[in-house]
Amino acid sequence: MNPSGRGIATGRIWSRLVQIAFLAAVLVLWSLATTVWGVSRILLPNPVNVWHQLIDVVSSGAFIPDLRVTLGELAAAFAISMSLGVSLGYLISRSRYLIRVFEPLLAAIYSIPIILFLPLYVLLLGLGPDSKIALGATISFFPIVLSTIAGFGYVDRTLVTAARSMGASNLQMFRHVLVPAALPVVLAGLRMGFTVALLSVIASETIASFAGLGHHIVDLAENMDTARMFAYIVFVIAIVAFLNAVVSTLEGRARWR
Amino acid sequence: MAVARTDAPRLAVPAAAGLRDRLLRHPGIARLGVVILLFIGWEIAARFFLDRDFISPPSIVLMSLGDLFGTPGVPSALWLTLYEIAIAFVLSVIIGAAVGLAVGLNRFAHQSFMPIVLLLYGIPQITILPIFVLVFGIGAASKIAFGVSHGMFPIMIAVAAGVQKIEQVLFVSARSMGASRWQLLRYVIFPHAIPSFFTGMRLGMSGVLLGVLLAELYVSTAGIGYFTSIFTENFDPTKLIGLVSMLAVIAIALNEIVRRAELHYARWRD
Amino acid sequence: MTSAQPAIRVHGVSHQFGQAGEARHVQALLDTSLEVARGELQCLIGPSGCGKSTLLGIMGGLIAPTTGTVTVSGKPVRGPMPRDLAFVFQESALFPWNTVFENIVLGMTFQGVAKAERRDRARRALEAVGLLDFAEHYPGQLSGGMRQRAALARALSLQTDILLMDEPFGALDEQTRMVLGEDLSVLLSRSKKTIVFVTHSLGEAVFLADRVAVFSARPGTVKQIITVDEPHPRKPSFMTAPKFHALRDQLYGLLHDEIRKAISETAQPRRRYDQAGAAEADGDRA
Repeated sequence: MNPSGRGIATGRIWSRLVQIAFLAAVLVLWSLATTVWGVSRILLPNPVNVWHQLIDVVSSGAFIPDLRVTLGELAAAFAISMSLGVSLGYLISRSRYLIRVFEPLLAAIYSIPIILFLPLYVLLLGLGPDSKIALGATISFFPIVLSTIAGFGYVDRTLVTAARSMGASNLQMFRHVLVPAALPVVLAGLRMGFTVALLSVIASETIASFAGLGHHIVDLAENMDTARMFAYIVFVIAIVAFLNAVVSTLEGRARWR
Repeated sequence: MAVARTDAPRLAVPAAAGLRDRLLRHPGIARLGVVILLFIGWEIAARFFLDRDFISPPSIVLMSLGDLFGTPGVPSALWLTLYEIAIAFVLSVIIGAAVGLAVGLNRFAHQSFMPIVLLLYGIPQITILPIFVLVFGIGAASKIAFGVSHGMFPIMIAVAAGVQKIEQVLFVSARSMGASRWQLLRYVIFPHAIPSFFTGMRLGMSGVLLGVLLAELYVSTAGIGYFTSIFTENFDPTKLIGLVSMLAVIAIALNEIVRRAELHYARWRD
Repeated sequence: MTSAQPAIRVHGVSHQFGQAGEARHVQALLDTSLEVARGELQCLIGPSGCGKSTLLGIMGGLIAPTTGTVTVSGKPVRGPMPRDLAFVFQESALFPWNTVFENIVLGMTFQGVAKAERRDRARRALEAVGLLDFAEHYPGQLSGGMRQRAALARALSLQTDILLMDEPFGALDEQTRMVLGEDLSVLLSRSKKTIVFVTHSLGEAVFLADRVAVFSARPGTVKQIITVDEPHPRKPSFMTAPKFHALRDQLYGLLHDEIRKAISETAQPRRRYDQAGAAEADGDRA
């Protein structure tokens, strides 16, 4: 199981080389497929074309209206799920009994793909941003409420008792004991909620919408503009990665550990 | 144990087993009660307050299930979806376990390829759904492919982790008793990896469900996606809620099966 | 000691967790009475599960006893009394997200000390336990012994007449325990505090206490009270004196049967300082 006689450092260098080789192989195969092997340009665009389209998309700012729609939906969905999730989660966490009643229920609902309910929201709210916001809020509500329950519900009892013994009022208990103790878990839940909201919004735009980044990709697919579609996909993946990284950094900064 | 003194006790919980007391002792019952209350709330709201064009009460949905299944194409769409889930799951397990073992058993392979696996796993796959449909068409193939794409990664990662994190002491004691390489694999590594494998399968099933359902909803010219579009456009909330509920029930049932399997096979772990 | 009013008076206290007939029912204490004189250090010692921690919680107003009464400094106990008594727990109850200094200031904030006084008092308390150099450290960065010193400093800064200490050195190694025990003895001789100290260790009880209350196995009640007639501060040499050994043997004799009884019991309730007690065993994180 262990490489014998190799230093750890050289092992790492070789791994890196393998990864680079892998990436290079993918690019090479891709190029070959679209040029020499004659795979249809509709199915697989030429990587060079994709690159040009990507530059065009970014520089021309054509993505801005769609980005605005998607981010707007995301912001609204997250604002709703955060306020509902944290407040409900806190209230439930106040009683061991309530936790035992609601936590398994919430966890069970979260375990199925809630995207299933998108058609219901579309029926109720139409194809516009409202249905996306509603679905995004619904899905991201769960990780937030569950982690808020976990954070506030399982604060180390000794800390609470010590504060009580020193005469802490309810407000002081909340501010100086409960919140700092629960914060790391709650923040992790908020980060997950954000990521899930973003993905849910893009997913619902893909399935049933007339605007937004997800929809634009579908639009390009239907128009067989595959090169530009690939470019947009790369762009959206980059945006998602960027937003996730920002939120992760914010979470890291806000924790006390 | 002796009886406490006769001074009035300060804890005032009555010993009578009233409804309140029974509820307090069994949160499961209370949970059921909450669910029932929600359904009652839905029933009342839909019956008396909300617009029938947009939402139907559960009683009507239930009674119209017959109609739903009578709608030509609906039962076959549901069966087809189930079939896609099953195939996608089996493929995910095979591919996921194979790659997971290959990557997990060899330290160098793990160092080289695990980062690639994790990177691919981290991509928001919803963005490439149109590519899948472009390549595999609007039939079952694209749904299965998308399902596999979602389901195989958790299995890969779990299996790789399962064969990796075996305590050294188990290896050492087996070797000291003269175990060969093949015997180590069969009697130490594989049994140890089984709980992780079942955890991976649970996550894999969630992934497959998500992938197949996303693809189904996306393709609005056939399958489930066709009917959700039709019912939405025709403002038929009864059939729509019915269809979505059926899918939800399938998802819950499948999740539960894998979850139970995991609990059963992971018994020896804490 | 003197005929003045006792600092703490426990009268006829019994306490049970859960209801008779339930699976989780536990009779922790049965008809316990004792008095703690002002300015003395009284140790409570007994086998595991005999209710001594529960009694401490009852004394401190954290638990309402099923029957019986407690008075502290002449006042009946109805809830926490932060102005009269301060706790030191076994697991360091310092808030891990605050520095040692912030922890001590926070304790005074809870108690209601004027803002202007807090920093000074905190500094003096840290000086008294020898931790002034570590004021800006976080509890996670300190050793177990230092953490307990910080917890003691917090209790001292509250300037209460009474200290309730629940096996404060229990999680520490033997050597640290000895040193901290000596320091505590010195502290006691300087201040006029009344201390109730729960411990498992026979040697610790004899070394520190003016009186030792020996508890029976569960359901706990006071079996006997032993007096240790030796002035504070106690020197390390006391531990080798014949008097020390005699007292320690006496304690052992009293406890031996009770310990055997306690070990044969299967259910050990977890340490609880709040009303619900053993009933809250599920869903808790350690």
